[in-house]
Amino acid sequence: MAGQGLERREVLRILALAAGASTHPGFSRWSFACGHGGSGLVQMKPPRYTPRFFSADEYATVERLARLIIPSDGSPGAHEAGVSEFIDFIVSSDPGVQYRFRYGLTWLDAHAGKLHGGAFRTLDEPAQNDLLGRLAYRDRYRDGEDEGRAFFKLIREYTIMGFYTSKIGLEQLDYPGLRIYAESPGCPHPDDPEHRRLPAPKP
Amino acid sequence: MAAKTPEYDVIVIGTGAGGGMAIKTLCEAGLTVCALNSGRRLDPAKDFRNHRQPYDMVYRGFGDPRKRDGFYHIENEYTDGHWEHGITYTTAPGTSWEWPRCHAVGGKTNFWGRSAARMGDIDFKTATVDGGYDVDWPVSYDEIAPYYSRVERMIGVASTVQGRPSNPDGEYLPPMKLRCLDHILGRGCDSLGIPYLPDRLAQLTVAHEGHPPCHYCGNCTEGCDTGSFFSTPWFFLPLAEKTGKLELRTNAVVRSILGNEDGRARGVAYVDRETKQEVEVNARAVVVAASCVESARILLNSTSRQWPNGLGNSSGQAGRNLCDHLYGTTGYGYLPQLLGQPSFPDNVSASQVVWMPRWQNLRSPHQETFVRGYSIYPTGGCGEFPWYHEQIEGFGSQLKRDIKRHYPTPVSFYCQIPSLPSATNYVDIDPEIKDRYGIPVVRVHFQWGPNELLMWEHAKQATASVIRAAGGTVWGAGKEPYTPGWSLHETGTLRMGNDPRRFVTNPFGQTHDVGNVFVADASVFLGCTDKTTTLSILAFALRTSEHLVDRLRRGAV
Repeated sequence: MAGQGLERREVLRILALAAGASTHPGFSRWSFACGHGGSGLVQMKPPRYTPRFFSADEYATVERLARLIIPSDGSPGAHEAGVSEFIDFIVSSDPGVQYRFRYGLTWLDAHAGKLHGGAFRTLDEPAQNDLLGRLAYRDRYRDGEDEGRAFFKLIREYTIMGFYTSKIGLEQLDYPGLRIYAESPGCPHPDDPEHRRLPAPKP
Repeated sequence: MAAKTPEYDVIVIGTGAGGGMAIKTLCEAGLTVCALNSGRRLDPAKDFRNHRQPYDMVYRGFGDPRKRDGFYHIENEYTDGHWEHGITYTTAPGTSWEWPRCHAVGGKTNFWGRSAARMGDIDFKTATVDGGYDVDWPVSYDEIAPYYSRVERMIGVASTVQGRPSNPDGEYLPPMKLRCLDHILGRGCDSLGIPYLPDRLAQLTVAHEGHPPCHYCGNCTEGCDTGSFFSTPWFFLPLAEKTGKLELRTNAVVRSILGNEDGRARGVAYVDRETKQEVEVNARAVVVAASCVESARILLNSTSRQWPNGLGNSSGQAGRNLCDHLYGTTGYGYLPQLLGQPSFPDNVSASQVVWMPRWQNLRSPHQETFVRGYSIYPTGGCGEFPWYHEQIEGFGSQLKRDIKRHYPTPVSFYCQIPSLPSATNYVDIDPEIKDRYGIPVVRVHFQWGPNELLMWEHAKQATASVIRAAGGTVWGAGKEPYTPGWSLHETGTLRMGNDPRRFVTNPFGQTHDVGNVFVADASVFLGCTDKTTTLSILAFALRTSEHLVDRLRRGAV
């Protein structure tokens, strides 16, 4: 239905207002929040992260999105791995992507306002899931939301990058690299070369 | 000007595979060598970051986005500072050429892919085999085979005896073991008649010549801190230094080779990167091994009254016939047989374990729509980063589960396709642009030709067939091949041959025009093949160096 999408003009107007109003905290304490043994680096997570690029509201939205994309659901997720800190740091280092993030976050809040009457971070979880679901699943795509889908793709990519390069994320994959092996590790199923009779995976 | 007494027997320009072999061979023969290298010496303990986890790195291994133009590239945060891409070249209109340079001592051998197959007569007699396209190499397999054997003994190559004439067997260490994905893909290849075999891998599966065996950490292309695969700083330079005959000058950017009134070379002029001063060094002979394009640049910049068009260029062929390997992702997908299985260290040796060596145009040279042939390298399994996430929809717990479930399953293939020599692919000297040392840069003229693009299409179809025949699902393939230059496998530019009117060097790498200048890198090759270049650079450089030793002893250069 026409009019469901935000006019690009409208987003640009909101962006211009936001740019005038917000001030960005400068370089401050920050941490990747992924401790690791043996490197000799000091492991300290400051009690409160001060974003380098995002405004406080934007950062809260990024943190919320990261938690929805890789949730803490019995095993640690994006929150525990400090993914939003990673995203803020990498975006602050990359002028080439900053506009896309700022534009996308603005779109998301404006769209949330239109559908649910409030900024994305203020919605309840079902409403947030509903809004993201329309951007994430092909069979729920709506006309006029392509800019939102592009932003979801972007924030999902950065969330995955941040999570699966953290100690927590690599442990969840059970990443077997960077270990020392005495000899070349070979396939453990020599009697089943086609791998048709492997033991059923753990659920 | 009074003739100076030569300070050294030989100047060697470059310390990569060709230069390193020349340095070692000449020093061990008792000759004094001045080696010039354009960059610094790396310290493995400090400069190799291969054992660091992504979260040990400021940008998680992706590198500072302000400095990098993509997340995945040979030049990343682990190798930051080892590769340079200042303006050392320009490109002609219509040419895209992506070409990072490793100036560190040892050059690209510090980070190379380690695939080390012999070339065979199918490669050397290629014009005869395929019915007259271009020319044969001036050297047969029988002549070069003993040098291959000696090189394999020096550097250690792991593989198996495979009995395929198109891929001559060598002297091998025990092979890397096959992984689950290799067994599955191998079955698929068997059913299609495509070879799926252990690569010829210059990686020490057992201790060799005083070097410790590989510990299979998996990050080889970020530099090896134990020296368990061949590189000249680990393998050759210590042997040369032990002779007391080597002086290695680092940060020495060569401007040109200097001539005498009699038309022979008397030495080399270089710029010291630290002092910015120009320095001259003299010797009885010069070995140029600065890598294919850089060597051509040096010869073309070496102009004088005797060499108006550049040293060794009376034929006009210096810089011509630039060839490269077309690389690209020919396909990717996943193997459902491995869904949800426990993690397995598939990424040992940077996933370089097997290859699918050329199988096209073997029975007859014109079976396919293209001439010659290409190889494919499969990779996959549990890597570091789950790049396949793009294939999985959605978010939340389901996404997390799906990423984990697919972790052992992804496979990806890349091709190694030789470009055919072409009159329109070459380098010359840019008439206007100089580098920061005041040295004129090369200008690259290069585009993929129809033969290599036909192979690229063929390779994509073959890859999809292999994934499906193995019971896998195809996700996609690269839309375009990688940009030319990406493989860092340039050949040609100073080709060898018997006819001085058509070739720059003779079959021993000695320039036809200037008897005391030799070339010992892939620039003397007639072109690319489906095999990598390093092992052949080493074999030909060994032969060239011994020829030079012999000539110097007989006073005949």
